[in-house]
Amino acid sequence: MDKLTYRDTRDYVAIDVDKGIDHRTGQLVHADAVAPEGYAVLPKCKHCKHYQQDEGTVGKCMADEQEFIAYGDMAAITCRDYTQV
Amino acid sequence: MAKTFKDTLKDAGISMDLESGGHAPDYLVEREIKKEPHERIKYLKEIYMDALSSINNEFPYWYTREYLKHDNEMPVVRRAMALKAGFSHLTPAIFPRELLTVRKGPFFRGSFPMPWLTESFFVTQGDALYQESVKRGSASAGEHSKFGAGGGNVTESFGNVVSVAGKFGVRQEEVPVMVKLAHMWKDKSVEDISNTYEQMVPGYDIKEKIMRSVICMFDSGFTLPQGREVINYYYPLQYGFDSILRIAQEKMDEVAGNADGDGMVGMNRLYNYHAVKLVIEGVQTWIENYALEAQRLSSVTQDKTQSKEYDEMADRLFYIAHYQPRTFIEALQLTEIIHIAVVNEDAISGMSVGRLGQVLYPWFEQDIAAGRITEDLVIELLEQDRVMKTSIDPFASTGVVGGVLSGNSFNTLSVGGVNSNGDSAVNRLEYLILQAAARNAMPQSTIALHYDEKLPEDFLMLAMDVIKTGAGYPAFMNNDIAEQFMFKQYGAEGMTVAESRAWSIGGCLETQPGCWKTLTLNGKQYEIPGGACQPTSVGIHFVAMPKVLELTLFNGVDQRTKEQVYPAHNREFLAYDDVWDQFKQYWQLTCRVLERCNNLQHDIWRKNNMAIFNSMLKPDCLDSGHLINELGYRYNATYNVESCGTANFVNSMAALKKHVFDDHSYTLAEIKLAIQDNFGFKTAHEINSFSLADQQKRDAGETTYDQMHFDLLQAPKYGNDDPYVDQILKTWEDWFCSDCHNYKSLYGLPMYACQISVSTHGAQGSATMATPDGRLSGTTYADASMSAYPGTDRNGPFALMSSATVWDHSNSQNSQLNIKIHPSAIKGTEGSRKLLELIRAYMRKGGFHVQFNVVDTKILRDAQANPGNYRDLMVRVAGFTQYWVEIGKSVQDELIARTEYEGF
Repeated sequence: MDKLTYRDTRDYVAIDVDKGIDHRTGQLVHADAVAPEGYAVLPKCKHCKHYQQDEGTVGKCMADEQEFIAYGDMAAITCRDYTQV
Repeated sequence: MAKTFKDTLKDAGISMDLESGGHAPDYLVEREIKKEPHERIKYLKEIYMDALSSINNEFPYWYTREYLKHDNEMPVVRRAMALKAGFSHLTPAIFPRELLTVRKGPFFRGSFPMPWLTESFFVTQGDALYQESVKRGSASAGEHSKFGAGGGNVTESFGNVVSVAGKFGVRQEEVPVMVKLAHMWKDKSVEDISNTYEQMVPGYDIKEKIMRSVICMFDSGFTLPQGREVINYYYPLQYGFDSILRIAQEKMDEVAGNADGDGMVGMNRLYNYHAVKLVIEGVQTWIENYALEAQRLSSVTQDKTQSKEYDEMADRLFYIAHYQPRTFIEALQLTEIIHIAVVNEDAISGMSVGRLGQVLYPWFEQDIAAGRITEDLVIELLEQDRVMKTSIDPFASTGVVGGVLSGNSFNTLSVGGVNSNGDSAVNRLEYLILQAAARNAMPQSTIALHYDEKLPEDFLMLAMDVIKTGAGYPAFMNNDIAEQFMFKQYGAEGMTVAESRAWSIGGCLETQPGCWKTLTLNGKQYEIPGGACQPTSVGIHFVAMPKVLELTLFNGVDQRTKEQVYPAHNREFLAYDDVWDQFKQYWQLTCRVLERCNNLQHDIWRKNNMAIFNSMLKPDCLDSGHLINELGYRYNATYNVESCGTANFVNSMAALKKHVFDDHSYTLAEIKLAIQDNFGFKTAHEINSFSLADQQKRDAGETTYDQMHFDLLQAPKYGNDDPYVDQILKTWEDWFCSDCHNYKSLYGLPMYACQISVSTHGAQGSATMATPDGRLSGTTYADASMSAYPGTDRNGPFALMSSATVWDHSNSQNSQLNIKIHPSAIKGTEGSRKLLELIRAYMRKGGFHVQFNVVDTKILRDAQANPGNYRDLMVRVAGFTQYWVEIGKSVQDELIARTEYEGF
């Protein structure tokens, strides 16, 4: 698996769009910095079996009967339909 | 070097850096009182200080997705379903060491757009934002390390972050969908539907011209449709959410299919209660998601103390998601949740906390008595409350968030006042609120002290200490005047003497009606106040008096844009009263067309975007089954007419009266030519500086208008206890306060006067030509409504206060007086007593509001030159406190220019 950036891990809380805190170390880290190995994957649409990538960063969520626009980067912690691929 | 405006003023005996009552020391004088927050709060505050205003799609995505599914539903239920989906899907963001949690979005300082209200920015900027997001994807690592300037404002794109409107940052990955979501609301948003119907208003073309000329600052219906009101925490604090759900279900059973004699909206109660239930369920899920996250963090955290704190947090959240809080910390946590739920439901600035110390007193009293909490821990919690409230960022258009609000959210907290019997309402918890505000000085919650002669002296002296920290709060508001206003405006809706005493400040200093409710905790009953009215961020907003005068003098033509805004009057002003008469005609035309267009905007809002959660909180919606849109609130006559630029207008009328009509020194035609020529100066736009001091002569040798300019600047000025000019203020106020009642809201209720400037004196000054008082084109107006123009109040603060009180302040929702004092002028206990006596003098004269900037102007100048050294410097602007670095330059310049009192 590709290395995870902090913003793709469950061990990170975002202060803002650019940086956050590593919950394991308490350190301030950049959102796009590579997280150490072993950090848990943050559920996002791009890891979900209901997500279908179209073009660019935009895709579709096929979880409902009525498909709807989606994007892979969206957090899915609170989504009841999230099913990790 | 070109002669500056500052030099010209100096020649006229007006010093822009006026020191009144002595001279400040040559060296920098720090504020006398400095306090530190608890270590835990310092940590959280440091996070805030480094946090950028951030937005993402989460809430709007789920709201839109759910809304579009349910086109078969009643509008109120459809909106409730969308809100439920929005709340249920918010990602929890819990930070180490915090004891209180829950925030607007998944960031420390998060927010999100609401395209169902207004989507035009994203639709029109969509391509540009998309291109920027693509570009951001390939940005260099060097750029990545750059954080935005201007405090938390993301003024430029960097790294993978795209700047939205120079204020918010959004991840480039989010932009394409953000734009697509906006397009889904095109022609469906409140803004777009309003626009369709507004065009049916006779005179709509004039309204558009008024907006273009910046005579009016903004439309209220789709920018900030709620706010500048006081929240009511009573129902969740008394019953807990599960009991409210039960009450709503019982009510549904009672009203289903039953109009109860109300053939118009009686049947709607069923849908309304159903909607309330849905939104509460969404809010409960949101709270439980936070509880689950706290539980998860506890399980992965190595630090045992931190792990225990997460466990305790989870326990509190699971409990208050359903039941009445058991402890002070649970009650405070629940108020945080309710507050953020309301500001997530709608675009709101100025959802004020109200008299929180009186609301939470039952838990405080019982916890202290039982030894469950210490005063020190209460202060620590109240300090964190300040971090949380300051982190709330409203999302609205650039003009509103930047031009009007300076990024402020106005979660004002009121202390003091009286109880329903008329006795002092101050309690021990309010002392701690003031102490926490001094220890953790942050813009929110700014504090309004309801001054009454019955308040304890030591409480007032503590307030003086807080003022001396330089935080800009507490501001003082006159309890008697507010109660009188309550009766005048809300008597027709049943206001009683006892209930008039429940008022609080909403927004900067908007007087709001409240009510008393009986809260029972462990068998003991308490009377607690809370908000009971509709927003006052609504109506006819910020009409620029100097700009209307400009168009009066120039036959209805905007001299900046050269557009014929008003119908030409073709009058020759032979007498001073002729100018007044025409000014009033244009003023009334402005108010009338704005009244009708804004009423339509709010009507569209109430039919498609009504408040559901906020309505549930406000008496008496839960009892009656009617929400805000069906006059469910106890008090509904809250729409107002806001003015801006009072001092410059009054001074201009005084200058015209003296030099044109009394002394005949100049003809009106000569003065108009001078105005068009900007008295020989370049315009502020030409030199790209709106600073009063920086304005430059076009040609140093050009002296055509120098003598006239000198004479106009020397004309009587407001703020010196001079009847010649003060009588003009009184004439205006008497007429204006009465005229406002002629305009009616969409609810058919009369409007009233509101006299605050917020930050509009910068933006509207920028759009106004030179004025007859000698002010130059594009420069900032005097702030507030009772403040003097910088440097013109030469007779000290008592004279200024005499001028300000020539009219009856209880005829208006408010008035606003800001005073800048050098720290050395109020040093020590003696200085505190002098300051308190100054405030008392103003209150006894009938002044409504006064607040103080305690700061050495030299520090402000240094901060303007070296903003990086002053990230945490706070100043009082006009009814609110803000970080210096987050204020636009025009208002910074005005703050520097204000008269500094060295003694009195």
